[in-house]
Amino acid sequence: MKISVLFFGQTAEIVGRREIEISLDNSVKSGEAVAGVLEKYPKLKETKLLFAVNQNYAKGDELINDGDELAIFTAVSGG
Amino acid sequence: MNKDFYELTTEPLNVGEIARRVVPASCGAIVTLDGFVRQWTREKETLYLEYEAYQPMALKEMEKLIKNAKEQFEIENVGIVHRLGRMEIGETSVVISVASPHRRAAFESCEWLIKELKRTVPIWKKEFYVGGEVWIQGDSQEKS
Repeated sequence: MKISVLFFGQTAEIVGRREIEISLDNSVKSGEAVAGVLEKYPKLKETKLLFAVNQNYAKGDELINDGDELAIFTAVSGG
Repeated sequence: MNKDFYELTTEPLNVGEIARRVVPASCGAIVTLDGFVRQWTREKETLYLEYEAYQPMALKEMEKLIKNAKEQFEIENVGIVHRLGRMEIGETSVVISVASPHRRAAFESCEWLIKELKRTVPIWKKEFYVGGEVWIQGDSQEKS
């Protein structure tokens, strides 16, 4: 299955793109999907990250489905 | 009548106009936060800021904040508008207006709202200062 991975701010700068598509096996959890992305872009490991699945903050144990939207970003700093 | 609103825009913010939009007849006070770009952070001089957002999620989180605030505080209406893009020193980046029958709840909820917004709403700012640029990271990591 395929999902899209979005990056913002600092993570977008590190990756050099705002969106990528990745292929995953079935029954993958969000934490495993993120770990896969970090292997691809190891520089992301240098900063503390948050992530969201389908626009909701995720903890790592959410099951990923085909077509989901995973976002990986640093601690938010609006205001 | 529900006058709540939450918005993102790249246009300059008119604080007074935003504040007036939350006023119902049953209220006696509005507290409005006008958050703007600060020039000095201790010794560091900021030149300008650039904000970006994960827009659909930011709007959802803003909606949740308003719902939570209304459950906790005796308030009538809440408006939150955050600007995105480049902002110069002194330009308003965020406005939060809370209307309530009595002022105390408006003050307390406005403080709570900005604190939570900075913790949970996916918006980021990059600071361009004399001598460099840096993506600012908020302090809070955990989403309750």
